[in-house]
Amino acid sequence: MKQLFKTKWNAACFVLIPACIGINYLGKLFASVLKLPLWLDSIGTCIGGILGGPVIGGICGAANNLIFGFTTGDSITLVYALTSLGIGAAAGIMARLGHMKSLPGALLTACVTGLTAVVISTPLNIIFWGGTTGNIWGDAVFAWSQASGLPVFLGSFLDEVVVDVPDKFITLLIVFAIVKGLPRKLTSLYDIDDEVVSLD
Amino acid sequence: MKSISLYVDQDTFLTRLHSFSKLFYIAAAIAIPLIGGGFHLYVLSLLLSFCLIAAGKIGKRILPLIAFSFTIILTVFLIHGLFNQKNEQILFTLGPLIFYREGLLYALKIGLNILNMLLAFAVLVLTTRPAVLVDDLEQAGFSPRFGYMICSVFQIIPQMMGTMNTILDAQRSRGMETEGNILVRARAFLPLISPVVNSSLINTRERAIALEVRGFDSKEKKTFLQDRKLRGADKRFIAFMAALLFASLIWRIRVWL
Amino acid sequence: MALIEVKQLKYRYPHTDKLALDGIDFTVEKGQFIGIIGENKAGKSTLCQAFVGLVPSMFRGAYGGTLMIHGMEAAKTPVAKLCRHVGLVFQNPFNQLSGAKETVFEEVAFGLQNLGIPREEIIRRVEDNLSRLDILDYKNRNPFDLSGGQNQRVAIASILAMEPEVIVLDEPTSQLDPQGSEEVFQVVEALKQSGITILMVEHKMEKLAEYCDKILLMHQGRQIAYDTPERIFSREDLDQYGVEPPVYTRVCKKLQIYREAGDQKEYPVTLSQTVEKRDSFPETLSGREIEKQGALWEEEVSKEQEELFEIQELDFGYTSRKLVIQSLSLKLIKQPTAIIGQNGAGKTTLVKLMKGLLKPGDGQILLNGEDISSKTVAKLAGVVGYVFQNPDDQIFKNKVIDEVMVGPLHIGMSREEAEKKAREAISLVGMTKWEQENPYDLDLSERKMVAIASVIAMEPKVLILDEPTIAQDIKGRKLLGSIIKKLSDKGVFVLAILHDMDFVAEYFDRVIVMAHGKVLADGPKEAVFYEKDSLSTARLEQPHMTRLCEALGYQGIFLTTDDIKDKGRE
Repeated sequence: MKQLFKTKWNAACFVLIPACIGINYLGKLFASVLKLPLWLDSIGTCIGGILGGPVIGGICGAANNLIFGFTTGDSITLVYALTSLGIGAAAGIMARLGHMKSLPGALLTACVTGLTAVVISTPLNIIFWGGTTGNIWGDAVFAWSQASGLPVFLGSFLDEVVVDVPDKFITLLIVFAIVKGLPRKLTSLYDIDDEVVSLD
Repeated sequence: MKSISLYVDQDTFLTRLHSFSKLFYIAAAIAIPLIGGGFHLYVLSLLLSFCLIAAGKIGKRILPLIAFSFTIILTVFLIHGLFNQKNEQILFTLGPLIFYREGLLYALKIGLNILNMLLAFAVLVLTTRPAVLVDDLEQAGFSPRFGYMICSVFQIIPQMMGTMNTILDAQRSRGMETEGNILVRARAFLPLISPVVNSSLINTRERAIALEVRGFDSKEKKTFLQDRKLRGADKRFIAFMAALLFASLIWRIRVWL
Repeated sequence: MALIEVKQLKYRYPHTDKLALDGIDFTVEKGQFIGIIGENKAGKSTLCQAFVGLVPSMFRGAYGGTLMIHGMEAAKTPVAKLCRHVGLVFQNPFNQLSGAKETVFEEVAFGLQNLGIPREEIIRRVEDNLSRLDILDYKNRNPFDLSGGQNQRVAIASILAMEPEVIVLDEPTSQLDPQGSEEVFQVVEALKQSGITILMVEHKMEKLAEYCDKILLMHQGRQIAYDTPERIFSREDLDQYGVEPPVYTRVCKKLQIYREAGDQKEYPVTLSQTVEKRDSFPETLSGREIEKQGALWEEEVSKEQEELFEIQELDFGYTSRKLVIQSLSLKLIKQPTAIIGQNGAGKTTLVKLMKGLLKPGDGQILLNGEDISSKTVAKLAGVVGYVFQNPDDQIFKNKVIDEVMVGPLHIGMSREEAEKKAREAISLVGMTKWEQENPYDLDLSERKMVAIASVIAMEPKVLILDEPTIAQDIKGRKLLGSIIKKLSDKGVFVLAILHDMDFVAEYFDRVIVMAHGKVLADGPKEAVFYEKDSLSTARLEQPHMTRLCEALGYQGIFLTTDDIKDKGRE
């Protein structure tokens, strides 16, 4: 358990976090340049979690939303800081458990992060906007659920599932492709239990 | 270099205000209607924000922010006005759509809340340089390493965006299409994002070296280039907001009594 | 006791089997200037990082031996403490900024703030070092808006402000244009005068020979020699270590001009040493025989049947106010052509226009008589190949072979064909051994070769290279030269943007000098490199060989050491 959350607080981690937040931003930007119907704005958060562990992943996620919320005026983002934290931490935990080494593992990680996002976001959606998500397809589901008399939390839950799970699947697949290709020279910077061996 | 921050560089009452005063304002403006309950306190908070925005000469800049939140407010109105489960009293009909009073009132409250948050944040965001906010936080005891992290985001993102066009060109040069049907566009995503991610992650290695040799891990207490303390205007501003907060609390208790 | 004592230093990176440093052993006295040379991957950068303790504290792995600086053991001293005594400046000017500061002033102050130095002291030190490096004017500018050379000076100022006793410079000019390099070398020269101890890794041997008290020659992590520049560069086995001595030494070796030092020959290594030996040089040298020049050459260009590019009255600006390219007209035929000029001269903009990545504001570009603006970039891809400056802007596959196959597949080749072309291209750039490797596990210089291969594999008729020599060592440059030659022989038109005049003089036929969006000079290299006015307006220098022969007072045309024929000795 201790190993699972072990975190190194060195300069390498503190430069990793801004880079990951930048990656989130660019993912979102490229998705909109290519007019893709997805957000793809948590690629960096997941990479942060996978390289630096769940704590760094969580910080990447939370810091991402807090920073954008406090400086770009997007206070809606701010509300979801907790969701992002969950996504980063979930990706980090799954990676530490060794699931990001194969494609099936990556898909499992996608399920876990997607569901984490749904579970955290649903109550936030209900508290702040009465259950909607602002995504047209998800909100159509919500509207349908309300029209057919389902409870608000269930409707909102379904709304969020439609929005988040496909997005996280694609995100994790991209992350898997990228992380697989990262050079050893870089990933070894974030290995947690390497000690210096003596050659004398 | 293009910044992602919305800060408007000018000299006004609001830009001179300590960032903590503005943070306190956000907390108070959001809390007042929630504590006091009732629509008129939302109106009060909104009015306050509008006054500050006018005083801070940032009126023009908030329009895009409001436009941004407009879609979400609209969906809230549509869905709750039409489908909210407490809906009973018909308010009006629009063709086949029937809007109910309960749902619309509920949506109104949510909408006002969103607008209130947005404007309160705008007061801070448009008048505070991110680096100053971080400096203030650090002087109040926030970890300088986390402070570094925040400032770094503002330098890194414009830099990464700069490489975006080069990557687009580089991949197009090798015959990749970036326009066409969704499949073509989706296929283009990885070749575009992958180089940025890889190079920015590889750059972190060198940047980490750069930080280490500049004493980033030093245990000494960091020196600040400027002392930033709460001044008279800040104290008066905070006192005023605290008074309003207190008043809203009284208001709530009075209703109970 | 010496200031720096390195004893049997050994180091291995994690997850590797080969030692990156293997038995390094030398001492440095206070105030000395030490050069470190060797081919790429010889272990030079690793050694530099060992001086500041990052090897092993940050990278871990396996470490042996000792490195003592000022009585402190580098491996056991926290980096935050060691950095007060040893400063490190490295290649990439942008990556060594803190990346969090909005002004040059704050950037330089960053390290001092971390060390908790009193505020008045910080302000004094920052101001002092900004003026020392002549960047006081940029004090309030955002460092990311500055040029590479200016930024490298900001980086040096940031380190000097911490007042270290030793400064380690790891190829500080390798990623800069000539102007930027010159700015940095001037700073290095001033530093040498100030008496600070300097260790410098550098590929520009002419500079090292001039500055160094001693040079450490490394190869595959081992120390080959540690001696004076004269003795190091007079060695006969330098070739096998991927090192080329200064042009002065090469010329003197050719003409056998040396002095006896014990039982060893010592050749001159600097310009002044060479000029001192003027009496031993032959009275006259004939130099290069010129084939065509002036009017004759122009006639040849215009009569050439297969005129490839014709650029007519081209105008271009990124904004409507400022034109980057101004009414430029050029005719290009199939001969290896180099475009030279400072950053901001419009070179990259011009080739991007030729590639169709940018659309001309006015005028037109004809390729084989057809206006290229009628074609899309993707359509041009198979005809005009363009290798970007930074290979990291394009690489996205996990294997070299896959990366090289991307282009051929895009332009419609079958898998088998693409694979065949990719293999050929990879072998041409000498990367066959790494075909199955992850490109990002390779060096920058090797990644550049991968990027070149990925364009060559598409078999374009035109190959545009944007600063291919950056980050390449002697071996890499020779390989590049041979690639250019082979492709030209196969009928490919090679057009390159270059900063390295010696390289241009060696491998190209035609040279185009650009400045401020205009062509200042254009013609065969034998003529252009003697158009001193144009070169100085473009703030460029002649090749080293040309300058040397002028200093020696020879009439004739000299561009490379091959222009000195042995018969000159008779």
